[in-house]
Amino acid sequence: MKNINFRMKQKMNEVFSIEPNNLGVNFLTIYFKKITAYLKIAPFIYIIPFTILTALILYLFLGRLLVNLVTILQYGY
Amino acid sequence: MATDFITSLVLVIRNFILLIFSPYKTMRKISVEKDYYQLIIIACLVFLYFKFIYFLRDQPYPATLIFIIFIFNFILTVFFFYFLSKITDKKVEWKSFVFTFSYSLFPTLIWFLSTSFLYIVLPPPRTFTLLGKAFSIFFIVYSLSLLIWKLILEYLAVRFSSKQSFFRIVYMIILYLIWFLPYSILLYQLKLFRIPFI
Repeated sequence: MKNINFRMKQKMNEVFSIEPNNLGVNFLTIYFKKITAYLKIAPFIYIIPFTILTALILYLFLGRLLVNLVTILQYGY
Repeated sequence: MATDFITSLVLVIRNFILLIFSPYKTMRKISVEKDYYQLIIIACLVFLYFKFIYFLRDQPYPATLIFIIFIFNFILTVFFFYFLSKITDKKVEWKSFVFTFSYSLFPTLIWFLSTSFLYIVLPPPRTFTLLGKAFSIFFIVYSLSLLIWKLILEYLAVRFSSKQSFFRIVYMIILYLIWFLPYSILLYQLKLFRIPFI
């Protein structure tokens, strides 16, 4: 029982180690919390579709420049 | 000692995997980490990467020199955020910054390693054929995904180590970029890093 209490206390200390974010304006704080909630667990579910869309838009706008950019990035290791 | 090291290795692998699936919870745990072997393992992985690219680059600097410069950059970065946090909150710990920033190197390491492998398998320049364009889009998607993941980890590293609010962290990152961007250009001019390894 003592052990469970100790672990519980430890977990509570860990979870409440930082104060919740407050952006000053109420609606901003609400939206910030809503958006960040998606990024806390398995963020790639949202990141990958977002980056696919971004890359396609970039290709539509930049065209050949995007291919050149990749060439430069490939030398970046 | 050997058992401690193996345990740390298992923990590093576990944390690396968990950073993909639950970055918030994992980074929170990492911020209270005390096992220094984990830092040694991460540093060894980075050193192995520098050893590997030594054979790929033209007229390279020795891997040890690049590694020492990387360690210097890392300490500089950690110290900068630690110093800024210490001004407002005296309770922040140096150790917490070192652990969280070390683990936030994971996306960097993946990107640099995969790019160097791709350099061997599909050497640049990219062409304007259909396959060339398709690969370019794939590479941008891959790089952007890792960049966003890196930003999330970096933000969480500062958040859990400094315990500051969102806006303060943004200000700290802006201040960091003010000196780090010219510094990166200097490293590029010296042919040490083409893209900063942070």
